[in-house]
This record gives sequence, C-alpha cells and structure tokens, in this order.
Amino acid sequence: MSTQTQNLRGPSSIMGTVRERLDKTQIGGRPPSYYLSGWRLGVFFLALALLFPLVTDQTLQVTAISVGVYVLLALGLNIVVGYAGLLDLGYVAFFVVGSYTVAVFTGGILQRSDGTVAEIRQFPFWYLLPLAALLAGLFGVLLGAPTLRLRGDYLAIVTLGFGQILPIVFQNVPWFFGQLGMSALPPPDIGPISFSDTGNRAPFYYLTLLLVVLVILAVSSLRDSSLGRAWVAIREDETAAAASGINLVRTKLLAFGLGAVTGGIGGALNASFLGAIAPTDFNFGISITILVMIVLGGLGSIPGVIIGAMLLRFFDVYLLGKINDTVHSSPLVTGDGSPLHFLATLDFNTAKYLIYGLILMAMILLRPQGLIPNIRRQRELAGIGAAPEGVSAVGLFEQEVAGEELAAVDVGEQTEYVGEGSEALGREDHV
Amino acid sequence: MTTSTVLLRLTGLTKTFGGLTAVDNVTFDVQQGQIYSIIGPNGAGKTTVFNLITGIYKPTAGDIVLGGQSIAGLTPDRVLRRGITRTFQNIRLFNNMTVLENVLVGQHTRIPGDLPSVLLHLPNYRRADSRAHARALELLRFFGPALVARKDDYAANLSYADRRRVEIARALGSTPKLLLLDEPTAGMNDPETAEAIGYIRTLRNEFDLTILLIEHKLQVTMGISDQICVLDYGKKIAEGVPAEIQRNELVIEAYLGRKAPVE
Repeated sequence: MSTQTQNLRGPSSIMGTVRERLDKTQIGGRPPSYYLSGWRLGVFFLALALLFPLVTDQTLQVTAISVGVYVLLALGLNIVVGYAGLLDLGYVAFFVVGSYTVAVFTGGILQRSDGTVAEIRQFPFWYLLPLAALLAGLFGVLLGAPTLRLRGDYLAIVTLGFGQILPIVFQNVPWFFGQLGMSALPPPDIGPISFSDTGNRAPFYYLTLLLVVLVILAVSSLRDSSLGRAWVAIREDETAAAASGINLVRTKLLAFGLGAVTGGIGGALNASFLGAIAPTDFNFGISITILVMIVLGGLGSIPGVIIGAMLLRFFDVYLLGKINDTVHSSPLVTGDGSPLHFLATLDFNTAKYLIYGLILMAMILLRPQGLIPNIRRQRELAGIGAAPEGVSAVGLFEQEVAGEELAAVDVGEQTEYVGEGSEALGREDHV
Repeated sequence: MTTSTVLLRLTGLTKTFGGLTAVDNVTFDVQQGQIYSIIGPNGAGKTTVFNLITGIYKPTAGDIVLGGQSIAGLTPDRVLRRGITRTFQNIRLFNNMTVLENVLVGQHTRIPGDLPSVLLHLPNYRRADSRAHARALELLRFFGPALVARKDDYAANLSYADRRRVEIARALGSTPKLLLLDEPTAGMNDPETAEAIGYIRTLRNEFDLTILLIEHKLQVTMGISDQICVLDYGKKIAEGVPAEIQRNELVIEAYLGRKAPVE
C-alpha cells in the first residue's frame, strides 16, 4: 500500500498544479453566472444604446443597424454552436429564409428577366416578422432532422452544403424573382411612425435595438433553463445525458430550430431595412463571418458574442475602408520605385476573408476561449476533466472517505482479482 | 424477499457485434425490492446487458420487460421515463458542470420542457425548477454535508469517491424504480468498499428501489445480493442465491480456470 501511495504522488501533484493554474486564471472556483447576473451592466449599456441616436448622425446609425443585424445572427448561431456544440457552417440559409419571407410577402418592385417591371403590394412587415421567424425555424428543424446522426466535421459539411444550396434555389425557382431579386420593399410603417425617411434612421435603429434586446433576454433565459443545462450535458457526454432522461433528438433540434428562428428575424429585419434583396447577397462568406464573430467574442458567452459581432462588423464597414485609404495614400505605396508599390492596386475589401481567416486562426491558437469567455467553455478548452476516452479515471484522483485521505488503489480493468491469492484473469473486456 | 412481483424480466436477450456475440440468450427475472447481482469475468457481457436494458444498444434478439411492459429498443431517455436509471463503470459525470447542476440534469424529466415554459420561465416551470433544486440538495445531503458544501464546485474537481456519490445522486433524481449500478466499488480499497456496500443497502431501503448490480468483487456480491446471475462469454452459466453460486463448479471454473485433468 505504501509503495502505491508513493507511485500516486505523481498524478496527484499534477492535479495540484492544474488547480493552482485554475486559481490563477480565475476559472477554477467561480460557478457559472446565472440569469441576468450583471444586469446592472446590461441596463447601463441599454441606456447608452437608447441615447445613441440623439448624439450621432445618420451614417453612424445606419452602421449601428447593420451591426445590430449581425448581433442577432451571432446570438442565433451561438445557440447552435456555442450552447449545443453543433458546428453549423451554413447558417446563412436561415438569414436567406428570413429575408425572402419578407420580400415574397411584402412585395415590392420586381424586375423580370425580360426587362418588364412589376409592382406588387401585399402584407405589412409586422405580420411577416413572426412568419419569417417561424419559417426559418421550420427550415432549421428540416436541416437538423437528417443531420443529427452526424457529428463534428460531417455535420459541418452537410450544413455548409445546405447554406450553399438554399440561395441557389431561391435564385432559380421561378416565383422567387430570379437573379435580380426584388427592390423597393415597402418600409414597415406603423401608425404615425415612418420608417421610410432615409434622413431619419432612428425608428429602424430602435426596432433593431428592440429585437436585439428581446433576443438577448430569450437566449439568456434559455441558457439558464433546464434546456440550457441539457445542451451543456449533451456537449459534455451524450451517453450520460441520454441516460439522464434527455431526449437527444428533441434537444438538438430545438438548438437548430431556435438558432434558425433568430437567423430568420435577422434576415427579415435586414431585408426590410435595405429595402431590397438579391440571391447573390447570401453567400458562404456570411456563414463564416458570423462564425468568426462568435469565436472571436467567445463561444457560449452572450456579451462575448455581442462584442465579437460589433468588432467584426465595425472592421468590415469602417476600418477596412480606412485601411484602404491609408495604405493607398501612403508615400511608401504611391512612390513609383517604392517596394510596396504593388499594394496600390490591392483592394483590402477583397482580402476581407483572408483577414477573417487570419483572425480565426490567431484566436484558435492564442485565445480559443474568445475575448470575453464563457467560463465553462474556457474550462473545456483548457482540457479540464477531459478524461481520455475509454480510460478509467481510477487512480487519477486521490480519494477521500469521511475527510480522511486515503491512497488511491490502482485497480485497472484487467487486474481485477477474485478472493485471496487467486490468479488475475487478464481477459480483454469487449463491452 | 417479501413480495414475488417480477419487476424486470429478460428473455432470451441477445446482442451481437459483427461476429462477436457479446450477450447470448440471457434470461433472468429480477423481483421487486431485490438486490440482484450480475457477476462474471472481464468480457463476460455484463456491461452490455446494462447497455441493452438502458437503451444504449438495441437487442439483436430477445425481450426486456419492465413491470409487464416491453422496453426493448426504446431510446435511453424513454427507458429512464419508465423508471430505470444507471451509473457507469468509469463514472460519467458532466465534468464542467457544477455538482448541483449534475444532480439537476438527473431530474431533467421532472421539469417541464416545452418551449414557452422554458423561454418565459412560466410559473409551472419555476415551481418545478425550485422543487428540483430542493430535491437535488436533499439528495446531496443524503451523502453527507460535505457534498452539500461543494455543490457549486465543478464535478471535475471532486475526489474519486465523491464523484461516485454524485453520480448516484444524479441517477436518483428521476425517482427510479430500478437502479443499475455498474461496478460501484471499482477502484475502492477494502474500507471504502465496505462503506459502499452499506450505502447500497441503505439506498434500496430509503428510496424504495430494486437494484441491479454489476460487481467484480465476489466478496461484495456475496454479502449483499439476494440473487446472483453469473455470465461467462455472454452466456448465463449460473443463477441462484449467494451460497449456491459459491459452490457452483462452473462459476469456480469461469473465474479460476479449468482443473487440470488428474492423471
């Protein structure tokens, strides 16, 4: 027994150092946050957001609206990837469904391929917003159902395909307006509030803010519910989750469906705000952009995901242009003989996805938990509690009984014995 | 054995993986309130029987009947709803969830799961959720105040023995009729094993359970089992009360090997 104790000093002291490391990085002791904790911070940011249109010009408000759309999308994808741990590379599909639902049913100006123009007027936006959410959710479940048996890479590939196919379907099926899409979608005017004045973007801004706040409340409520727990449990150990009474099919489909609903809302809002849609607007790049947003901010972390979406969108609509201008006017580039002359013809907008790719790689290598991490995700990434598959945890942990620390006994699968002095039966366990 | 109601009945249960027959035509009855043990050497198919009962595997042939209704081929969550829960040989806790959360997951089926309830935290959801919290603490308290004090610690940070306890607490969350324990004393030394045996008896009495137990250590099973079934190479080679099993030639052979032929 004493020699075994000696042998086990190794692993237990390793555990000790892991714990020390945890305490240093403050991810060891603190339990995950609960519903609306940090709500004071939330109210503060909400107040700032409410005051935003009073102190900013139209350009900034328009930027804020497009940021808001992506915040919605990122929060939605976060349900699927961050909460349920299902890698979805075709999230743009639900954005498409939301956008097209609005376009098809509000009507607008339609340019046919023969050059004729038709004007259609149908239902108001306000009926279509819930319809868009519903239809997108339906598509989410439709996509989810056949792919549930797939895991990891395979799931990613199938969802990627779905995201590629759907815009092409919309482009080619006759009653979806073809290549040119639809323009002049009617604004969602309601009563005295006009959304159509391009000189006053505040109504759209507040609509976006309202939707963002509602979605934040919904996803934090989900996270802290029994459903949220079920998602984490599935991510941690599917077999144990199922054996605890969690219906794997239903729980995963709910993640797909709810993520898609949020994507649909984002799509509906975006279509109505832009007043036009075209099938070419929806590409794989959008799926990747949203994924980069949530990885950058921190998978599973609501504030992280919001920050990630804001940063990347800011980079996209503002910083990229600035970089372009700065580089192109720099004497290092404009000078004829300068070594950087080749940059003069480089449009950084075309290098956007290269930069996103670099961000994604850098984050995965340097800070996989994201800028504002979800504590649980951070632990998972640190490899805490991740026992190697099929390896018994026996012997890795010191044991305590009634406060008394006892040496761990190394009873492996194959060294079990029966009674005193009997031979061990080293038969492999097949089951 | 006061009653003789059959709670669980396996008839001709068979599971093959390719050419390997892991469980071969196994038949036995577990009576209500029994502690029934399945023993056998490594690879005898004990855990496969558990996986078949709990729906992780689908049987190739045969039937599993719980309280008169067949549960063969149901998904694990449906099996749990019928009143069977289990622990795992290698302890499968949700390591990055807290102790309390682990036990709460065990009560998943006791909290309404429809979308409006979950999303809006409706009154019925809140009531069920706070009941589940209270019950989770109660279950932890059953294993001692030390575990209650650690309710907000991550499961990964617990000692081995505490992890076993939390896993059982999680399994009890759904108020099962039948509890399946897969080698609950694996990796424990003698005093710990003795304590665990005491727990198993108390569990049965306190929670009104029937317990199906997989055990390697013969001294454990002999002490607490009402009935024992011995598997070897997937087949049932013996069944009976402990005293019968101890005398059974086939069992001794399976564990210790065949006697050398006497010249």
